[in-house]
Amino acid sequence: MSMVELLKITPPDSAYLEKLGFLWHTDSDGTPYLTDTLVKVTESEAEAFYEAGNELYDMFVEAGEYVIENNLFHEIGIPFNLVDMVRESWENDVHWHIYGRFDLAGGIDGEPIKLLEFNADTPTALFESSIVQWAALRNNGLDESAQFNMIYEKLEENFKRLVTLEESVENFDSLYEGWKFLFSSVRGSAEEENTVKLLEYIASNAGFDTEFAFVDEVEFDPAEGIFHDDENFELWFKLIPWESIALDEPDLAMLLTSIVKNHKAIVFNPAYTLMFQSKAMLKILWDLYPGHPLLLETSFDRLDGKKCVSKPLFGREGGNVDILDANGERIVGNGGEYGEYPRIYQEYVELPRDMQGHKYQAGLFFAYESCGIGFRRGGEIMDNMSKFCGHIIEG
Amino acid sequence: MSYLKKVGRYGGSVGLGALLAVGLAGCQQRSDEGATASSVQRAQPAFVVIEEVAKGRYKIAEEFPAKETRIVLKKLDGTEKVMTKEELDYLIKKEAAKIEDGTSNLVKPEGAQVASQGGMGIGEAILASAAGAVLGSWIGSKLFGNPNYQSARKATYKNPSTYSRSVNSFGKKGASSTSSSKRGGFYRSSGSGGRSSARSGFYGG
Repeated sequence: MSMVELLKITPPDSAYLEKLGFLWHTDSDGTPYLTDTLVKVTESEAEAFYEAGNELYDMFVEAGEYVIENNLFHEIGIPFNLVDMVRESWENDVHWHIYGRFDLAGGIDGEPIKLLEFNADTPTALFESSIVQWAALRNNGLDESAQFNMIYEKLEENFKRLVTLEESVENFDSLYEGWKFLFSSVRGSAEEENTVKLLEYIASNAGFDTEFAFVDEVEFDPAEGIFHDDENFELWFKLIPWESIALDEPDLAMLLTSIVKNHKAIVFNPAYTLMFQSKAMLKILWDLYPGHPLLLETSFDRLDGKKCVSKPLFGREGGNVDILDANGERIVGNGGEYGEYPRIYQEYVELPRDMQGHKYQAGLFFAYESCGIGFRRGGEIMDNMSKFCGHIIEG
Repeated sequence: MSYLKKVGRYGGSVGLGALLAVGLAGCQQRSDEGATASSVQRAQPAFVVIEEVAKGRYKIAEEFPAKETRIVLKKLDGTEKVMTKEELDYLIKKEAAKIEDGTSNLVKPEGAQVASQGGMGIGEAILASAAGAVLGSWIGSKLFGNPNYQSARKATYKNPSTYSRSVNSFGKKGASSTSSSKRGGFYRSSGSGGRSSARSGFYGG
């Protein structure tokens, strides 16, 4: 079993974190969300994470094309009222993917990197990965460059690509026509609100004319587009899962479909990221790339004779995830609100552990290319109570 | 991996430096005050009809957003042809040289006047159209950043409504709408259900 080596640090204190805007530093049980340690990663391990993300993204694009061509929307659980939107967004480059986060097992102490899932639509852990873990290096007098963390810079660059629509962002200033960019979250969660405000801030630094509004303050007109305070916004980022829009606010799904089809606004992350987010894609990937070293065997049926993890297609934060032994008996499981979704079964893989037995899962951010990692520390299933642990590159 | 060892990485990013110094809320106040936006043409594929209005003088008759850029030339004698890539490359290259030495009407102060009166040369009209940003992207700020360019391109449209219709169909709306078909208030009731300033961790996966 691979072991995680840790470096003890003094984590940034709450007052400093709150000043930054990172308000969710304490979990509901009163324990700190940030660990007082950093995971030691070697440069070649960081390099391998970087390469893995780039390769996986290309594979997701292939798999997305396969789903579109073969009309597999039902199979991967895309709600029927989003299928048009998914297709529409897939067909035109203006629907640029801003960022996502791969959750990965392994990658440490010689263990191979394995894809657990891809949070392509509404990834969080952005603030802690891009800002807080770097501040930890700085506040502890450590080498500020010893981290695989270009998340902020790569996001800024990728925002510019919404306009240049190519790798080079050189021509952003001459091409940007002043289209206004609205950023929204659902009211009531400081984490979501400030994750979105961080993204808004990065976009405004990239050169966009930006604004923030809670989604309940935003108005939608199928023929005219998206408005806030009677002002029209051509670009809208929403940290709201597409499947939630489809199921909880179906009228909004309908309005957005018209707005996008009428070229009145572009919505981010694009609807096709819901395909990537669906855990059924892990099965599609296994079909397309059987035995690929970055993948775990995944099926719509139980894996006979193999310990496996059963996950709902659109569960989040470990909700309704079960671990089954080789005989299909449930060893451990989380309750949750995602039980009604169809499930996939993914081969179980041991996560790297520290001396105390805590398990670590890497979160690899991707914004046009792999751009940084952070870790979650938890038990058998990473959930809402798992902790965030930064990293440092040594060796 | 070069960027792993990029020393002083935050020295190069003003935005991130400011964020660490004054926090997100502090930065946001600042960026609200300082928010500006340039109004320059945006690259998006377009279907463009260019019409010859007098011998060798051209105006933009129609343009729409399209999957790929196509330019149709409507000649004085009424014939229409789709311009080939080679023709476009040749014309734009020629125009780029004129932009470079300042003789193109697109970058001359009197360009708008020339355009609105007799019409532009063919290369000028192509670059003034919505397709110009795509086809001429490599010319860069020398063209698109030139203040005379914006007024010249507006004047190259056959009539003002072609220009404003084009701007609208590319998604850019001038004034806010008073239409009553707007709907809002989504997620009004679902937001506050049990969430607090504590971590919701809801969308992380």
